[in-house]
Amino acid sequence: MTEFQTEKRIPIIKMRDYLIVSIQVDMHDRLALELQAQILEEISKTGAKGVLIDISVLEMVDSFIGRMLSGMASMAAIMDAAVVIVGMQPAVAITLVELGLEMPGVETALSMEKGIEMLEMRVAGNRIEPLKRKPQGW
Amino acid sequence: MGEWSHKDDRKGLESYPVNSEYDIVRARQTARELSKQFGMGIVDQTRLTTAVSELCRNMYEFAGGGEIIFETGDLDGREALMVSFVDEGPGISDLQLVMQDGYTSGKGMGFGLPGAKRLVDDFLLESEPGKGTIVQIAKWV
Amino acid sequence: MKKTLNITGLEQRVEEIEEVLSSVAAGQMDARVNSQVDDDFSGVEAAIDLLIGDLTEELQEREKAQKELEEKLRTIQRQQETIRKQQEDLLELSSPVTKVWDDVLILPVIGTLDSRRTQVMMENLLENIVSTGCTIAILDITGVPTVDTQVANHLIKTVTAARLLGAECIISGIRPAIAQTIVHLGIDLSSIKTKATLQDAMRYAFQATGQKMPDESSPEDETGGESK
Repeated sequence: MTEFQTEKRIPIIKMRDYLIVSIQVDMHDRLALELQAQILEEISKTGAKGVLIDISVLEMVDSFIGRMLSGMASMAAIMDAAVVIVGMQPAVAITLVELGLEMPGVETALSMEKGIEMLEMRVAGNRIEPLKRKPQGW
Repeated sequence: MGEWSHKDDRKGLESYPVNSEYDIVRARQTARELSKQFGMGIVDQTRLTTAVSELCRNMYEFAGGGEIIFETGDLDGREALMVSFVDEGPGISDLQLVMQDGYTSGKGMGFGLPGAKRLVDDFLLESEPGKGTIVQIAKWV
Repeated sequence: MKKTLNITGLEQRVEEIEEVLSSVAAGQMDARVNSQVDDDFSGVEAAIDLLIGDLTEELQEREKAQKELEEKLRTIQRQQETIRKQQEDLLELSSPVTKVWDDVLILPVIGTLDSRRTQVMMENLLENIVSTGCTIAILDITGVPTVDTQVANHLIKTVTAARLLGAECIISGIRPAIAQTIVHLGIDLSSIKTKATLQDAMRYAFQATGQKMPDESSPEDETGGESK
């Protein structure tokens, strides 16, 4: 690791109403905060209703990154967007629990597919009154 | 608190100054590599790496930086990876307060010490206001 | 013919006995009186020599036994280390996680839980949740007689970690004895979903994942329960 790193930008992909971010690098603190700002910027620009953050490659989430994620979820909620974290590794989950770090406002899903399902339900809930059961004759 | 083998009986592995955010990342990677090398299970590797990240950041944020030292030694007769965080910062005057869950320093960041303590097998903290702080953690391999 | 007792010689002989006894006490095991005289007193001298002989023999045997014990102890210590390693492997095997239908995992636990076993179980279950993508996991402890604070806390940790991954972990089969222990220890299980029996837990799981239990049948279902 050299002192001067080419500052990587983590790519944010737009897919339908959602943003997809895949974190593949070991982020230093400043990069994490930049990512948070970038995502909020994109939500504002695109009007995205949801953000899926794929952390399946992350081998560690410490309190700084944890707070960045929950901070982002709170700020995104104000902009009417939901944040779903996808692909957390079991070792990371165990460590977070032992660390005592709660991430309020952060939803989690086992896979990208399930994450999108979650977001779809949320979006549908906002637009139409959810039908509890099919009316007779349908 | 367990019995730590004496400084002279430990084996030094790596040590370097921590003066920037990049050094925190470097420290995490060293912790991961060494714990893997010494055969720790994946969950324990993650615990140690996370604890190192927390304590390194503490040292950087609170004392402006310091030195990190990786060693192996014996804890209660079993081989353990030991990591020391040595700084010459302002020191901590109220050790009890700092070890409470939920305590936050002026910068609005939790000290993270009690959390890190839960992730390791033993934890030593020495501090003198105006002189500096030494935090040592150990995890069995 | 026995000589009559010579009184003046007697003092000397008693001194001799005292010297021999001191030597034996000091560790000189081959010290003997070896009286050349044959009279009434020589019986005492011979008896003392015999006694010393028996004593040294016993001591030597004990030393030999001690050495053997120490050797055995070393062997046992080596074996213990091997056993410890094997136990780690066994722990993995004794925590079978089964996928039941779609989206539901069951981990039946039998026997006494100690901290280490619960830890291995937890890691096992969480790995399985991630690899199968099941959103509900049932941890059934019908077969567990008691739990202590540490184990109860590990169970809570498992549920919380599962939630962090995006799955729900239900604990079923809590015996009355365990329920009592938990309340007495002041452990808060309010954040955990519990069901009295495995069947209740499975029913809940199937409902929650929008599936039908195998015993429920409806006219349209030909497969008898694989709807999603």
